[in-house]
Amino acid sequence: MRHEKIIVEGRAQRGLPAKVADAMSILEVRNLKVSYSTGGPQILKGIDFEVGGDDFCAVIGPSGAGKSTLIRCINRLVEPTEGDIILFGQSVCPLNSGDLRRLRRRIGMIFQEFNLVNRMSVMDNVLSGRLGYTGAFRSFFKAFPKEDIDRALNLLERVGLQDHVDKRADALSGGQRQRVGIARALMQRPEILLLDEPTSALDPKISRDVMGLIRELAAEFKIPVLCNIHDVQLALETCNRIIGMQDGYKKFDGPAKGMRKQDLDEIYAMEVL
Amino acid sequence: MSITAAPVSAHGFDAYLAHKRRRRINNWLLVACSVALLAWCFWDTIMFDTDWQRMGGALGIGGTLERFLLIDWSLLPKLLVPALETLMMATLGTILGCVFSLPVAWFGAANVTPSKYFFYPLGRFLMVLSRSIHEIIWALLFVGAVGLGALPGILAVAMRSVGFISKITAEAIENIDPKPVEAIRAVGGNQFQVMYYGIVPQILPVIIGTIIFEWDINIRRSAIMGLVGAGGLGLVFFRQMAMFNYGGVTLVVLAVLVLIAIGEVISHYARKAVI
Repeated sequence: MRHEKIIVEGRAQRGLPAKVADAMSILEVRNLKVSYSTGGPQILKGIDFEVGGDDFCAVIGPSGAGKSTLIRCINRLVEPTEGDIILFGQSVCPLNSGDLRRLRRRIGMIFQEFNLVNRMSVMDNVLSGRLGYTGAFRSFFKAFPKEDIDRALNLLERVGLQDHVDKRADALSGGQRQRVGIARALMQRPEILLLDEPTSALDPKISRDVMGLIRELAAEFKIPVLCNIHDVQLALETCNRIIGMQDGYKKFDGPAKGMRKQDLDEIYAMEVL
Repeated sequence: MSITAAPVSAHGFDAYLAHKRRRRINNWLLVACSVALLAWCFWDTIMFDTDWQRMGGALGIGGTLERFLLIDWSLLPKLLVPALETLMMATLGTILGCVFSLPVAWFGAANVTPSKYFFYPLGRFLMVLSRSIHEIIWALLFVGAVGLGALPGILAVAMRSVGFISKITAEAIENIDPKPVEAIRAVGGNQFQVMYYGIVPQILPVIIGTIIFEWDINIRRSAIMGLVGAGGLGLVFFRQMAMFNYGGVTLVVLAVLVLIAIGEVISHYARKAVI
């Protein structure tokens, strides 16, 4: 199949074996602490976990538990205050801006509100996923290499938007826009996917479609996923591992199948009270 | 009085009345001061400063008006080239102004400025500088620097345009939706790519609208540049005035009017096409 060819080529291009061993941990978070201002309240109060292999890991917890902050720390959209994040075997925190950019190219991110450039076409939005690999001259004229354009068209077909290639991003519905977001993230040939509430701007049915699509593509491209999500039911349906957070602490970490009602009650205790 | 019998404490009521009286007195004092100031202005500038001897009565004023109204149509063919020159001065000045505005807007937009403590104040200062100096003063400066002709006019118009274009652009940059910017940063885009893909598409309609508006204004500005020797219709105006050819002066004024009307029409349709 064409798509498999893309993956294999992509991995070869990065000097990786065609398949990554499942046991390899791709992301390690160690004693992560974050506060937005010096001496201000701590949002994350020491989080530890590892993600790797075929993990499709959901981060759940009540509002204000620090889920979004945790996800954003990993590609340093939010600066960690203490602790360490090790991604692809290198520490993220001490990277300078150039190295950080090179690292971010390998991390796909899908956002709650899609974060598309509304006045740009669907195609340009998807292609913008390649910007980290595109020189100034090419990006100025939006002249992406042929292989990028081929790949973008393939991905748009995969997410079911082949008829909307030339439309402006703001002409699409919410579910379609999130599919553009998915295609943009996959354009990067990411080695890990970060999902920040990818479905909370969508209705329940579309949410399930979108999560299903992400799971399918992540499994196909062998990309581990860290997904911050507040719909517990959807998390249990889609993900194979759950990290439960409450008030900046990790309260639960285990397979989704083994999760009991009392575990959930503990995570959401704040809301019950 | 029946009011004192009301369950309002006498002290509270008296205090209220006193307060109200004081306020009324203050208001009257303010009005009186304003009237006095107005009277002084009128006396000093009109009664005292006007050369009443030279006004020469109603007949004299009427005669001058008549001289202006006898339009000298023979001048018409000689106006075509200066009119075009004015238009070109406005266009080139606007384009040059846009070029100068780019760094100024970048420096002066709080969310993208390279340095909050040096470039941001610098950008803001340049915006104020450009707008606080009148276009005629800019033209005088440039006539002094590069000599007579259209070039000082173009430079003056450009310098005067920077303030408005860069201020509106900087404000548009400050008001953008930060989410697409975050997305471009997250895919590993550099500073230029973040601006070009995340910011520019969002502010483009505002900028183009502003540039068209500024061009429209710059036609007016270019029309008077000639008064200080910077070419265009203003120069013809100045010469006609110097020759006491009042009919010619009126014709130049009419030509400026037509030019501005044309600019108004073009910018109306251009704005419609873009936004």
